[in-house]
Amino acid sequence: MGETTNDGGHLSAGIDLSQFYQVFFEEAGENLETMEQMLLNLDIDNADDEELNAIFRCAHSVKGGAATFGFSDVAELTHQMETLLDKLRRHELAPTAPMVDVLLSSGDALKAQLARHQGNGGGAVDTTELLTAIRALVAGGGAPAPAKPASAPAASPEAAAATPGAPTGVRELELTVGPLPDVSAADNLVDLFKEITNLGTIEPLDAGRDADGMRRFKVITTSTDNDLIDLFGFHVAREHIRLAPLSAGYGFHQGAPGAPEEVAVDASYGFFDNAPGAPTDGLPVPTHGAVAADAPPAAPKAAALAARPEKAAAAAESSTLRVSVDKVDQLINLVGELVITQAMLAQNSKDVDTALQQKLASGLADLERNTRDLQEAVMGIRMIPMSLVFNRFPRMLRDLAGKLGKKVELVQVGEATELDKGLVEKITDPLTHLVRNSCDHGIEMPAERLANGKSESGTITLIASHQGGSIVIEVRDDGKGLNRGKLLNKARERGLDVSDAMSDSEVYSLIFAPGFSTADQVTDVSGRGVGMDVVKKNITALGGTVEIDSAEGYGMTVRVRLPLTLAIMDGMSVGVGDECYILPLSSVIESFQVQPGMIKTIGGSGRVVEVRNEYMPVIDLERVFNVPRFDFEHVSNIMVVVEAEGGRVAMLVHELLGQQQVVVKNLESNYRRVDDVSGATIMGDGRVALILDVGSLIRRSRH
Amino acid sequence: MHSILAVDDSASMRQMVSFTLKNAGFNVVEAVDGQDAFEKANSRDFNLVLTDQNMPRMDGISLTKKLRENPKFKSTPILILTTESSDQMKQAGRAAGATGWLVKPFDPAKLVEVIGKVIR
Repeated sequence: MGETTNDGGHLSAGIDLSQFYQVFFEEAGENLETMEQMLLNLDIDNADDEELNAIFRCAHSVKGGAATFGFSDVAELTHQMETLLDKLRRHELAPTAPMVDVLLSSGDALKAQLARHQGNGGGAVDTTELLTAIRALVAGGGAPAPAKPASAPAASPEAAAATPGAPTGVRELELTVGPLPDVSAADNLVDLFKEITNLGTIEPLDAGRDADGMRRFKVITTSTDNDLIDLFGFHVAREHIRLAPLSAGYGFHQGAPGAPEEVAVDASYGFFDNAPGAPTDGLPVPTHGAVAADAPPAAPKAAALAARPEKAAAAAESSTLRVSVDKVDQLINLVGELVITQAMLAQNSKDVDTALQQKLASGLADLERNTRDLQEAVMGIRMIPMSLVFNRFPRMLRDLAGKLGKKVELVQVGEATELDKGLVEKITDPLTHLVRNSCDHGIEMPAERLANGKSESGTITLIASHQGGSIVIEVRDDGKGLNRGKLLNKARERGLDVSDAMSDSEVYSLIFAPGFSTADQVTDVSGRGVGMDVVKKNITALGGTVEIDSAEGYGMTVRVRLPLTLAIMDGMSVGVGDECYILPLSSVIESFQVQPGMIKTIGGSGRVVEVRNEYMPVIDLERVFNVPRFDFEHVSNIMVVVEAEGGRVAMLVHELLGQQQVVVKNLESNYRRVDDVSGATIMGDGRVALILDVGSLIRRSRH
Repeated sequence: MHSILAVDDSASMRQMVSFTLKNAGFNVVEAVDGQDAFEKANSRDFNLVLTDQNMPRMDGISLTKKLRENPKFKSTPILILTTESSDQMKQAGRAAGATGWLVKPFDPAKLVEVIGKVIR
């Protein structure tokens, strides 16, 4: 049954099915994801029955939902996939690599179709080729059919006939028309239908009654749904036409306990004779589809249907709750406000007299602890495992390695490590780029690897782990590694300021320079202008860092360090004049009091300070932000050394105010982008403090 | 109020069936697969069981068989919701002791109509 309801028919019997779309989209997405994973892990020569069943079930489940909710394109493609998978699980066909390829491509097409239905853009997805290829495979064709021009329409009778053992193209449909202002308009359809020879038969259901302004007909035809809808579209708006399979739609087993006393004319359901619960009054059984009580058990494969190993994963779903991200974000926002209120109370309690403050102190300490716990718990809701990002790589590498003629194995470590959902979404692209890069530029061709005494297939390892308040993600490959000399030469060609005295890590970092590519050839895979510089920029924008380690001939490791969340950070508050600024604690190295003579002026205006034999630029925050001065006696005499992007600077401030967790408020979305500032926060006393973008300040010091 | 046990591994289908049946005035308990349904069915009574066929852990037909073994469910109507409408499936359903079948996709109104035929 590939027939589905037409798109647009989402209003069904007064129930707006669109309210279930979101759940369906999420569920279908998960099913497709699972199916892809299982297809990738499928051992073609020794496929496990339970695996094949599970893959089948994914397609089946998507099809069921798609058909119910009216996404006919999705239902049609999944139906064909299901047909193929059904043959596989019944061992009527043996799995082959082309089958896996077609199923994977179909999964991609389904994702695109679903994205389109969700309004995420993308044009109509042409699945003609896929459908043809699947049909060819179902029919026992060895390889997927070559790209056939669109001459083979999706559900053409010929294609259907190509499926061995498939029922002939004759179908019984229930046609529902309406609601119509004038129900007699439906009669025109009947006349039109009858005028065309060989189309089939049409007869009214419900004795032609027009209950609820709808008219129902039974149609027996070989035409496709689309053709019929095109035809009926002459008289009635398409959205008022609904086609559903009539044949064997339902049934009762006569005599079954609870079965109804009368038998429905329309048989999209049924009761079994004498079955428990079936209606007792045994009227004529629907001619189509009903099964006589004494029918022989003509079900050679019934066992396969009924007996399913009860292994399989526990239904985790029953213990989880789906909540929209908006609700969680609102919760996080409210907790953020609570944190601010708590800080405000703590601040104000300092002003009350000592006796009272002591009374308050323990309560406030509890409040602080509870607030922090609550905040952590709430942030935990947004945490999702890295496997959600990692899972896309096996498929990507399989395709990529195939295209490049390389052999690559992927190893994942720590995929259960959790990261904020917002970060996961943003880190996906940079990581994808890094993995592509490793495969394209790092891993050598099999012959070259063998010649170098390495195993034929390269290994890319993805490692995620928590380290302190950050998550560290490593992309490792055992490929050819980076060549120091080549990098330096390339940098000189590009006119970059380099010297042979640079440390290895500084040299390796050159690949993050804009427009820098060491690949001799630009391939179709990477090197399309979006380079490592963009990767670095994106990671830095997330408050993260990226570093490279490599040994020529042995491979390369790219280490990305990210904060666990973007919503809260540990900060050090510093005072400059009457203003307060926040430095991310993770970037603060040390602070000290400036002694006279420590600051040296070089080249006119540049100032440096010597800290343990190391000279670093001095940034006077007062000048950077033009802080108005009311107290001319005071001099900035505290230095805070901060580090970012592999560089260190010393910031001159008036005072250190303390360390605290701050709730990061986005400045860009609430105001506009401000140079050297990454966000803002509200302090305990209600004032707004700017959070400094240390990376940007360090870049400023370089100019 | 009549209680219905609605069994489907698909969350969207469960939600849709549950919503439809609750709107029609039934009390609905959801189960995510045959095993879950079997456990829920043992702990309380239902006037009707509506189950999907193809599910992990335990499918609809196995669930039907296991429920029929329990005297409590000897005459409870059990409807199998399925996208497989072959005679073979129906035969298996009847052999397992199901009351009837309803083919997916179905119209919510059809579901209520069919259930109305067996719960009075």
